[in-house]
Amino acid sequence: MGLNIILLFKYVPNTNTVNVDPNTGTLVREGVPSVVNPHDLDAAELALELREKYGGKITAMIMAPPNAMKGIEFLMGMGVDEGVLITDRAYGGADTLATSYVLAAGIRTIEHYDLIITGQETLDSSTAHIGAQLASWLKLPYVYYVTEASLNDGTLIVKRQLESYTEKYRVKLPALITVLMHSHQPRPVTLENKLRAVIKKPIKMLTNNDLKLNIMCTGLRGSPTVVAKTEFIAKIPRKKEILKDKSPQETAAWLLSKLKEEGFLN
Amino acid sequence: MAFVKAKGGGIFKLSISGQCPDWIPVNPNEHKNVWVYIEIEKGHMHEASIQLLGKAKEVAGKVNSKLVAIMIGNNLGSLLNEPGMYGADEVIYVEGQEFETYYAIIYGEVMVQLAMKYKPEAFLIAGTMRGRELAPYIANHLRTGITADLTMIEVDEKTKEIILIRPPFGAWQLAHIRTLRRRPVMGSVRPNVFPLPAKDTNRKAKITQEKAGELYEPGLELLEREEIKESEEKPIEKAEVIVSGGKGLGSKEGFEIIKELAEQLHGTYAGSRKAVDMGWIQHDRQVGQTGKTVRPNLYVAVAISGAAQHVFGIREAKRIIAINSDPNAPIFDNADYGVVGDYRQIIPELIKLIDEAKNAKK
Ligand SMILES: Cc1cc2nc3c(=O)[nH]c(=O)nc-3n(C[C@H](O)[C@H](O)[C@H](O)COP(=O)(O)OP(=O)(O)OC[C@H]3O[C@@H](n4cnc5c(N)ncnc54)[C@H](O)[C@@H]3O)c2cc1C
Ligand SMILES: Nc1ncnc2c1ncn2[C@@H]1O[C@H](COP(=O)(O)O)[C@@H](O)[C@H]1O
Repeated sequence: MGLNIILLFKYVPNTNTVNVDPNTGTLVREGVPSVVNPHDLDAAELALELREKYGGKITAMIMAPPNAMKGIEFLMGMGVDEGVLITDRAYGGADTLATSYVLAAGIRTIEHYDLIITGQETLDSSTAHIGAQLASWLKLPYVYYVTEASLNDGTLIVKRQLESYTEKYRVKLPALITVLMHSHQPRPVTLENKLRAVIKKPIKMLTNNDLKLNIMCTGLRGSPTVVAKTEFIAKIPRKKEILKDKSPQETAAWLLSKLKEEGFLN
Repeated sequence: MAFVKAKGGGIFKLSISGQCPDWIPVNPNEHKNVWVYIEIEKGHMHEASIQLLGKAKEVAGKVNSKLVAIMIGNNLGSLLNEPGMYGADEVIYVEGQEFETYYAIIYGEVMVQLAMKYKPEAFLIAGTMRGRELAPYIANHLRTGITADLTMIEVDEKTKEIILIRPPFGAWQLAHIRTLRRRPVMGSVRPNVFPLPAKDTNRKAKITQEKAGELYEPGLELLEREEIKESEEKPIEKAEVIVSGGKGLGSKEGFEIIKELAEQLHGTYAGSRKAVDMGWIQHDRQVGQTGKTVRPNLYVAVAISGAAQHVFGIREAKRIIAINSDPNAPIFDNADYGVVGDYRQIIPELIKLIDEAKNAKK
């Protein structure tokens, strides 16, 4: 039968190459290249493994400005089949409610799907909201923090990991899962896949002309939450007794005396 | 969350009127009381939910409203008395066999029904892994906003509006998040940021039983649950002493000596995000904004530069020791005791001295 999978991902500033401005404490984002959210690569890898085992098709989907096309191309380089880029000025400034609203509409344009897969969270906002919100919009069963998935008798069997438990569920399809971060080893992009992506360009663009959503429910207007202000975190006063230019022996002896003083050696 | 530039740091005024016609109409003034969902783990209230009760009590006081604890399960029994001992004024619970097994969809649907009936002003959920899965589902059904992983809660003195605060992209800053036009104000709350409130076994909350209406079929079935073997590796949230390693360790082997020092100090080991990214330690040992908040008595940061996002996770540590070869590393600005030097030389010496000191005592 094959599995039709929708893979949701985000295209985020690459924080590994970002520097923090020592004066303001904020990230210097200018000129920083974006990447596919690393935690979504775990999701992509799981999707690709499922397709290899059961056949089917993977469609990568994102709501973002047009430059996120590069993110779709990257995922296609890994082996993803198709892409959908949802982009419209009316969708800008969205919080997670308004984002998931648009994504749900985008998903509804896909005739038949069995499984929606998202990453656990994004690097740049780390909310882990979108999965549950989509499950709510689309009325689907959902499981977070999945580490393994397989098919059994037309249902999905998943394993997931919480703080102190692992759990195994049987899930009716269609369903939504989010993939535990660091749980997979994403495969590299291959030249062959990349060429296929460039030549076939199976990427669809959707705007509000296609989705026809009420713009009172999208973007900034459809977002109940706003950042009212930002504020610097007050620093916690520390003793800041610093020892330098001493031999390792002297240094260790000084540390030992501090440990004793503070009562950490009892 | 919608990022809107704040002018002059003041409270931002949004020039948007009206709202999505698809949403259930809400009159914010009709919404009263602060709700906390109580997660139950192994027959007890989850520690993160107790911490949250403590903070929520303070917030409820500031907005002159009651603190209500929401409990769902099968045979809750004497557990129903517990939220009152930690400050709840009221407990609303739903009980039954169908709630024996926790499913986010089922529990979430019950809470949606309760929230539609009682109209709480705020609804807070401990940001455990289960809580992070559950909270956005409820918020979405109510078509209200939600803030993830918040670390502070404030009440605007004039308007009495509840404002949720979380670290945004750059960690020296906190984002103050307002929920406009919709109620309840919802958030998942980071565990371990707020201290456990005192327990008063004489204090009693009013206890009200509710019945659930029609529920969805969850579409999933729990087949197996296995406890992850608690190896001798203590979870970092519980540790009183943590020795933590960063990228500067140079290799996975570097963690051997980190663990040895941790053992000498009767503590456990942790690390920075770079240490996790390198695959040297598991993500559940990452300290910081996108890892865990810890509150040990002693935190030893070894070969960790002290990026804002890392230091964010150790604000609650009583004492911080830093070992770093770069005298300009920002970690020294956040340490009680800092030593400049190569950890490879200093730590073996220190372990030797601790060993000697212990033997001398015997
Ligand atoms: C949105 C966001 C969220 C983040 N969340 C987190 C988080 O939760 N936790 C976290 O830790 N980071 C987080 N980060 C990453 C953070 O910004 C830093 O990149 C990271 O903390 C740096 O890790 P590090 O100190 O191990 O490595 P580095 O910054 O590379 O520092 C290594 C240090 O080791 C020292 N060193 C080298 N050799 C030696 C030696 N032989 N002896 C002693 N010292 C030595 C060096 O002087 C240097 O100071 C986040 C970043 C972003 C953008
Ligand atoms: N704009 C978006 N478009 C498509 N998928 C998204 C978008 N934002 C988030 N996601 C997906 O939802 C997951 C959780 O994101 P977040 O709620 O932002 O932490 C991500 O790992 C992505 O898989």
